[in-house]
Amino acid sequence: MIILLLWFYVIGFAFTVGGQINAEIEHAAALHGHPEAKAAGEKVASETKSISPVDRWRDRALDSGWHNSQQFDYQLAFCRVLNVFSWDSFRRQRDRSHFSPPQDVRGLKRTACKISSCLLVCAVALVSCQRGGRWQGDQKLIILGIDGLDPQLLNRYIEQGRMPNFAGLARTGSFRALTTSIPPQSPVAWSNLITGMNAGGHGIFDFIHRDPKTLQPYFSTSRVEPAKHALHLGNWVIPIGSGTAEQLRQGKAFWEVLDEYGIPNTVFRIPANFPPVRARGKILSGMGTPDLRGSYGTFTFYTDDPMSPPGTVEGGQIIPTQVENFRVNARLIGPDNTFRKGSPAATEPFTVSVDPLEAVAKIEVQDQKFVLREGEWSDWIGVQFQLIPFIADVRGICRFYLKQAHPRFELYVSPINIDPADPALPLSTPKSYSRDLSEEAGEFYTQGISEDTKALSAGVLDDKQFLEQSRTVLAEHRRIFDAEFPKFQRGVFFFYFSSLDLNAHMFWRLIDPKHPEYNAELAAQYGSALPDFYHQIDEVLGEVLPKLDEHTTLLVLSDHGFAPYYRSFNLNTWLMNNGYIHLKPGGSDSNEAFANVDWSQTQAYGFGLNGLYLNLRGRERDGLVGPAQADALLQEIKDKLLAVRDPQNGGIPITRVDRAKDVYQGPYTDKGPDLLVGYNRGYRAGWQTILGNFPADEFENNSNPWSGDHCMDYTLVPGVLLSNRKIDASAPALTDIAPTIFAQFGISKPDGMMGSSVFSH
Amino acid sequence: MSYKVKLEGELLDNAKKCAEKSGYASVDEFVLHAVEKEIKRVLPEEGGGESKETVKKRLQGLGYIE
Repeated sequence: MIILLLWFYVIGFAFTVGGQINAEIEHAAALHGHPEAKAAGEKVASETKSISPVDRWRDRALDSGWHNSQQFDYQLAFCRVLNVFSWDSFRRQRDRSHFSPPQDVRGLKRTACKISSCLLVCAVALVSCQRGGRWQGDQKLIILGIDGLDPQLLNRYIEQGRMPNFAGLARTGSFRALTTSIPPQSPVAWSNLITGMNAGGHGIFDFIHRDPKTLQPYFSTSRVEPAKHALHLGNWVIPIGSGTAEQLRQGKAFWEVLDEYGIPNTVFRIPANFPPVRARGKILSGMGTPDLRGSYGTFTFYTDDPMSPPGTVEGGQIIPTQVENFRVNARLIGPDNTFRKGSPAATEPFTVSVDPLEAVAKIEVQDQKFVLREGEWSDWIGVQFQLIPFIADVRGICRFYLKQAHPRFELYVSPINIDPADPALPLSTPKSYSRDLSEEAGEFYTQGISEDTKALSAGVLDDKQFLEQSRTVLAEHRRIFDAEFPKFQRGVFFFYFSSLDLNAHMFWRLIDPKHPEYNAELAAQYGSALPDFYHQIDEVLGEVLPKLDEHTTLLVLSDHGFAPYYRSFNLNTWLMNNGYIHLKPGGSDSNEAFANVDWSQTQAYGFGLNGLYLNLRGRERDGLVGPAQADALLQEIKDKLLAVRDPQNGGIPITRVDRAKDVYQGPYTDKGPDLLVGYNRGYRAGWQTILGNFPADEFENNSNPWSGDHCMDYTLVPGVLLSNRKIDASAPALTDIAPTIFAQFGISKPDGMMGSSVFSH
Repeated sequence: MSYKVKLEGELLDNAKKCAEKSGYASVDEFVLHAVEKEIKRVLPEEGGGESKETVKKRLQGLGYIE
């Protein structure tokens, strides 16, 4: 067995190293416009041969129209954890991904030579904007993408004098509300911006989608499929063949188009871009990037407090520990080890020596030792998880927080993030970019949503501790911004900030006395947290403004605004009470999604934050509603939803219900919800209804620290758009941003793209 | 434990055609994959897919799910 494993290892290593070298050479050649560099999607003869049946299937799938489902196969035999795959296969799949191939560079040069000398200047200008040519312009476009920057709060803080740079930009340039997506959820909204299409075109309708045949939920922007077959050797399981990680967003990203025209670009942490699509620019993936366990953030909390029930909590795990002789022995929990039968989690031991007198502890992890005082955070700590002894391992990074040393022991460990210096998953293009960033600006959170909101919701971190963690996230982003922005010379520079969104979610209850969770004492302590984050973003803008010149356009924008979340509406309970969902005898006690639903009598169900689906014959596994009945039924449900009133206060919980066919355009329109439920400010889909559970009441107070939200009626939570130039569009929308980018560089809007430039050029 | 299934006649011919057209290395591989796919569709939990509870835990880190 050992010989067999070694053989696999050597072959895999050779493939991986060879693939990486090839990828780097190709990337460098492409960046420098080398005439022999392969154009995007172009294959040399040897590469057009299918390597395996899996590759052949995939090639056919791509040829059959799966053009933009960015799939990446991965060498599971050596590098795969649950979601871990190798760079060699990532490169191979990138080469297979469909892109409209640019024209040959040499062809353009020959054409240009035939033009008479009197037209040479014009020809150069023309070639500079031709697909595949090397762009020679000096225009610059800077985009600050501020998730959740709300126009009402921005105006309030401008009036309070907290945002002098935004005030100046609004005064000398333009400040508009920016129409958000339907529904106004970040993956949908950023996909609108990225592709210039709405959900009917890019296929992202919600944070979560469902498989209509199984009602299995999955994250809407990416999906990982394991290998189909495995070799079982005792307790070891050797996967055979390839699994896939797909990016599910359809449509071409704006930076892919810029690449075709040779326009340099940097795109930092834009959501809905994991795994990152092939690009010539510097791209780092953002929201949607998992932690090393394959989740979207799982913290661990070690405690000897018997009042903390061990086990799983939302977004985390509580692990009971024993302090014996002032020493704790525990294990860090890593990814599932699919090389072992049953895929148990890979773990690594660590020890904590608690000082008997002082509130101090020494922590030893592998070869690292560090001391934390109570209430202190560690730096990033690297951890190597062994999968096959001496053969396969995977590296992550995490931060420790000693919450309490005495009398109870309480230690928080952040989700294990993918190490940007040695990524187990593709985080960036080129591959070396995440490593370069970590070398220049230090290690940083790589998981898509870095702020640990779940630790606050679960009470593992309190407001102060969450705030510290959240400030660290913004500090990391600012460090990277300070490292990258001065390098920007020309082309497009996009930089994303998450802090306003996540902190508005968590701290709305402390700026709004009407919120059921408002606490005057806490508000006095932490009510300034959200405006402080706004002020920090203003400081970032203050770094940008002095760099603007006549060649530079600045866009500061957000994907949506914000609103209070006072009350939950349990859509599935309402559907059940109104006869659209029927349960089997036994009721709705189960915590399992849609358990006990009698699909033979169910006409419609709610899924996700804004979605309502018919149980449609031919689409759902046990579809009941025939296509001929669908229109009338949707109208009936829509009318009833708009007539619902909150029994507590007579309020209107739902202000808008849209039919998908009325608001979406594109080939994926029928893949999403049939109705989009738009909640009034103050209301949102209840926590339990999102994945198909049935709380007893249709309405509930929201008692979660997650107290602000935006998954509502899209007309009530617009984003913002500011620019140093005059915005001519009277009602700009997110789908106008990609056309605006292209117009800046004289690029025609690609087919299928909606919207138009917000400037009249 | 293993179980053998005999294909013959037109079904075998069609299976061969499908395997070849779809890029499978053999009829065996095609049949195995087809059965796995169908099991996953009819019995998603038994078909090797993650349980809804596991998926829910993964999604909870997004913040929007309790």
